Amino acid sequence: MTEGTPVIQANHVSKWYGQVSGLNDVTLTIPPGVTGLLGPNGAGKSTFMKLITGQLRPSQGDVRVLGEPIWHNPALYARIGFCPEQDAFYERMTGADWVAALMRLNGVGDAEAEQRARRALEVVELSDAANKKIGAYSKGMRQRVKMAQALVHEPELLILDEPLTGMDPIARRKAIRLIRDWGRAGKSVVVSSHILHEIESMTSNILLINQGRIVAEGNVHQIRDLIDEHPHTVHVKAEQPRALAREFLSADDVLSLTFEEGAVVVQTAKPDAFYARLTHMAATGNCGAVFEVTSPDDNLQAVFEYLVK
Amino acid sequence: MTDATLRRQRLSFASATMRIFDLSLPQMLWSRRSVFLALVTGGPVVLALLIRAIVAARPAGALQVNGAAPSGAALYGMIVWLLYIRFIVPVLGVFYGTALIADEVDDKTITYLFTRPIPRGSVLAGKYLAYLVCTILLVLPSVVIDYFIVVPLGGRAGIGENFPALIKDLGMLAVGLAAYGAVFALVGARLRRPLVVGLVFAFGWEPGVMLFPGYVKRLTVAYYLQGLVPHAMPDESAVSAILQFFSETPTIVASLTALALITAGALWFAARAVERREYVLDQ
Repeated sequence: MTEGTPVIQANHVSKWYGQVSGLNDVTLTIPPGVTGLLGPNGAGKSTFMKLITGQLRPSQGDVRVLGEPIWHNPALYARIGFCPEQDAFYERMTGADWVAALMRLNGVGDAEAEQRARRALEVVELSDAANKKIGAYSKGMRQRVKMAQALVHEPELLILDEPLTGMDPIARRKAIRLIRDWGRAGKSVVVSSHILHEIESMTSNILLINQGRIVAEGNVHQIRDLIDEHPHTVHVKAEQPRALAREFLSADDVLSLTFEEGAVVVQTAKPDAFYARLTHMAATGNCGAVFEVTSPDDNLQAVFEYLVK
Repeated sequence: MTDATLRRQRLSFASATMRIFDLSLPQMLWSRRSVFLALVTGGPVVLALLIRAIVAARPAGALQVNGAAPSGAALYGMIVWLLYIRFIVPVLGVFYGTALIADEVDDKTITYLFTRPIPRGSVLAGKYLAYLVCTILLVLPSVVIDYFIVVPLGGRAGIGENFPALIKDLGMLAVGLAAYGAVFALVGARLRRPLVVGLVFAFGWEPGVMLFPGYVKRLTVAYYLQGLVPHAMPDESAVSAILQFFSETPTIVASLTALALITAGALWFAARAVERREYVLDQ
């Protein structure tokens, strides 16, 4: 695979479970780097994850991972690490034994498998519990040992299905850092979550999925461009909010204005034009000083809510 | 091994099978199902001890079958035929064979095996081998214990005289476990309610068609296993009478050939089914 080649390509992919549609005519390209798959429960994230890990065959369309079809292509799993959502293990095995046993399926000998397993457990900070039985692990430890088995063979692409579920805040922060580091190291990660700030903390490159359809893809700002027909809200703290408001009203793109203490809240249909004008106004100082500009629309939550409504 | 080499590395079917076997055997040996297996295989031992106790308490004609006192060897033969071949081996085949993949699916651990660079069929093959070793390790010692408890009832000399029959029995039971396990692995790999279908096959279809003359009985595993039974049953006994129905028995060579073909064919089709089937785990 050359640099820049998409890690995942889905072409008109649909998946039905009998009469129930799990995924509906999805066409997308996931570039190298960290990509978040975001959607509410039941949106089709797990179906998508199972399709891109070759556990399910598309009812229609085709899925390619690292340039190759994934269904019925076990050789490709040497390049992919998958951390599934389900909390399922061989409970009587120790973490080290379990990760080493799965590593052995990648074709290495016992000694190397054990060595790599120890290293993977170290990466997820589970070395201390390596010799404990998985049945005795806490939820967070179970999530981490699952991640260890996914990354033990140093895959090019890591696919993580709701990896932060059940982790405590510290473990969560470490896992997020690990995922970001993985991306920085030039590897690719596709990570799903239904919690917005989780994804937001890992990457700005997201796919939004709802009711079996990809409703938006790209980075947060690109997605915001997609929803320009929705009012974009900007909160401006200023010395003279009313003077600013008078200037704003002369522009066609401003849809509404409300006042808060020391601030004006503007809804605009053309955010880029609005920001350009505001920057100019702040620079000239004709309407007094502008202290702070925030936009709740820059938060993933707002984008998500727009798109899934 | 470098990471780049590792990403090109792929096990052969045989190597992958052996690694799945290594992973599965301890899981299988210490499973709840093995407790059940231990109880099932303990039953004939308890029965043998009971027979021994009855004979010890009332030695003269304590046990009679159709008016005749069977020898220790004949009693042992009946235990092997009626309990092991007709009941325990099919039961173990049904409960383990149908669960080879189903257990991993129910436990949702199948994902870990199916997302490794190994053929899916090797997962079934490795688990099948683990089943075979697990059941052989537990069933055959139970048969040997039965042998040493029951056969001496006809005098200690019987132990040496009948020893070749014991060896044949052990071989026959291993072949039976292999054949039933493979057949029910296929049932488990292809059908949605494998346990029900397996039980109907083992305890409905097989004993049913065995009672009728004709070719249909050749569609059973029991028919070929019967060709391997080495025991001379007691004359004019109920068992002997029942066996008259089975007078058409295949030769040992034909039986072994058929059982080998059944085992290999069933495993091949089962592995193929596992390769092609989608496993949708409950959320």
